[in-house]
Amino acid sequence: MENSALNIVVLVKYVPDAQFDRHLIGDAHTIDRSESILSELDEYALEAALALTDARGGAKAGNVVTALTLGPASAAVAVKKSLQIGATQGLHVNDDALAGSDAWATSLALAAAIKTLGPVDLVITGMASTDGETSIIPAQLAARLGLPQVTFASALEVDGGTVTARRDGDDYSEEIQASLPALVSVTDQANDPRYPNFKGIIAAKKKKMTTMSLADLGLSASDVGLAGSLTTVSAAAERPARTAGTIITDSGDAGIQLVDFLAAQKLI
Amino acid sequence: MKHVETEEQQALRSAVRDIVGRYGVEYANKHARAGESMTELWQEMGEAGFLGVAVPEEYGGGGCGIYELAAVLEEASTLGASLIMMVVSPAICGTVIAKYGTDEQKQRWLPGFADGSIVMAFGITEPDAGSNTHNISTVARRDGDDWVLNGRKVYVTGVNNADYVLIVARTVDERSGRLRPAMFVLPRETPGFEYREVDMDIIESEKQYLLFLDDVRLPAEALVGGADAPLEALFAGLNPERIMTAAIAVGTGRYAINIAAEYVKERSVWGQPIGAHQGISHPLAKSHIEVELSRLMMLHAAALYDAGEDKAAGEAANMAKYSAAEASINALDTAIQSLGGNGLSKEYGLAQMLGLARIGRVAPVSREMVLNFVAQHSLGLPKSY
Ligand SMILES: Cc1cc2nc3c(=O)[nH]c(=O)nc-3n(C[C@H](O)[C@H](O)[C@H](O)COP(=O)(O)OP(=O)(O)OC[C@H]3O[C@@H](n4cnc5c(N)ncnc54)[C@H](O)[C@@H]3O)c2cc1C
Repeated sequence: MENSALNIVVLVKYVPDAQFDRHLIGDAHTIDRSESILSELDEYALEAALALTDARGGAKAGNVVTALTLGPASAAVAVKKSLQIGATQGLHVNDDALAGSDAWATSLALAAAIKTLGPVDLVITGMASTDGETSIIPAQLAARLGLPQVTFASALEVDGGTVTARRDGDDYSEEIQASLPALVSVTDQANDPRYPNFKGIIAAKKKKMTTMSLADLGLSASDVGLAGSLTTVSAAAERPARTAGTIITDSGDAGIQLVDFLAAQKLI
Repeated sequence: MKHVETEEQQALRSAVRDIVGRYGVEYANKHARAGESMTELWQEMGEAGFLGVAVPEEYGGGGCGIYELAAVLEEASTLGASLIMMVVSPAICGTVIAKYGTDEQKQRWLPGFADGSIVMAFGITEPDAGSNTHNISTVARRDGDDWVLNGRKVYVTGVNNADYVLIVARTVDERSGRLRPAMFVLPRETPGFEYREVDMDIIESEKQYLLFLDDVRLPAEALVGGADAPLEALFAGLNPERIMTAAIAVGTGRYAINIAAEYVKERSVWGQPIGAHQGISHPLAKSHIEVELSRLMMLHAAALYDAGEDKAAGEAANMAKYSAAEASINALDTAIQSLGGNGLSKEYGLAQMLGLARIGRVAPVSREMVLNFVAQHSLGLPKSY
């Protein structure tokens, strides 16, 4: 059991690139995904998975890292990027009926997708998506799969059938153990994600990439989408344009002015 | 001709942007101003396989071609990091050795080109043979099994950080005849070989050197492609050189236009962004068109070259080099003008690139020599020299 091969699922989300302005579109206030990328926070999850499987001899030794995404056709980009970085195979859940799904409906479909992969040792996710930012998918998914969950891990190790994770608070650190199979979400402090190298880019082309519809997952349209969601976004407004701001000129007392400003804004 | 890049080519570009983006333009500018090679970036790009995309797979490379190599350089330059040694080391030297080297030479050097751990400079220009390469007088004389080289080279880029210099010489009995290049891999620390920095007035991370070869003795294995190598052996390296020079120029043009476009959207002088004035927007739009057109010619030349269409590739590579150099010089000038005083400040990093952009009009082959080539070979006009 010590160093036996692992079967890991990593959730990867296709999110709007934070480099560009973000917009909401349509009556349901869904996010405009025209300039989108693999969520940076999910790169930490993928790295955590790859570090664990690399240490166990990688794909050659039977380790599997499945990059799983749920989203429209374009979301395949997130899976492909994961394959280039080093995931073994990809799974893309894509169905028109999924549009508008909230976290509850999304976690339902994700759980069903993970079940198609057979016995899984670990599900690793990022700490949040950089778009919806609910951080609730990991918990819902763990509940739906009946797995112990460890969230916001800034370090993790697997030894035999146990995962050990460190959670860092502001003034404390705690170590949590769970038996496998388990679900772990990792923070952006967990590791230093690798990027694709050229061999990875070329190798990705030959890796297995499966696309599944709701029917493939045994779900119906009413289970997901706006119908299957517990929450709806009733109103949304774009952030008002930024104003000019205050420029402090330093004539020896800039520090004091700065403190006064922050205090006036109740920021300190 | 295909106009849509494959997923791998797009992923390659994006991965290069990721790496270079993490170093940032500040890194590139700092090294350019200090005249220091971007060694860390080079090594990281090399380890990721991006400098070796064109090296055959059996030697640890990416098994692709000059198209992909040019894409790597174009993306790096677009972010302000013109890795000029990519023009020389993988594109010229790596290609010549891959195409004309013996099995032993390939075993010995190509793995180093695949991961960027070998840097090889390229010396063809001489004090009396710049545009006129027929005048090359660096001579290689046989002595037993060895070769003994004598001559001078000038403007050779990056010798200080190179492990080797690929020297273009001619064999002694062909001194007066048609150019019969003989190429030698010269380890930098060889007795009789010295190099001295040429005092250039360019803000750039690589420097140029004057080379002195005085009775430099090299073993038989240093000769690449044989003593009577066809002229094609040399052009196997020179066409990629032109394509890669075009890639730097395209990247530099894009870099300049990107900075200017951002700036003129924000800067207001008369109550609206200056980008609203057509006196500003039209020159930028025109520069953008010119850069993109030259980019298309560069990609076309690279595709032809990789397809083994050497003659057509030669013509296209010359045209791409010409138009990309002109477009980037113009784009930089336009960008500087668009920023007003800021265009000439260090903060915006545009003016410092004038020298770099200007290289493309002179090297590796001057604007005039490209026009001569096109007049003679494309249009069939008589030669004046
Ligand atoms: C930054 C930089 C890096 C370089 N790196 C390298 C390197 O790594 N290795 C290397 O070997 N060389 C290198 N070179 C040299 C470069 O290839 C030469 O400078 C170039 O080929 C021009 O040669 P020249 O300088 O001798 O100019 P010349 O040949 O003296 O030409 C001077 C001028 O006369 C014009 N001219 C010449 N003949 C004609 C004609 N028949 N018709 C019309 N006009 C003509 C030219 O266009 C040019 O404008 C580098 C040069 C520079 C500036």
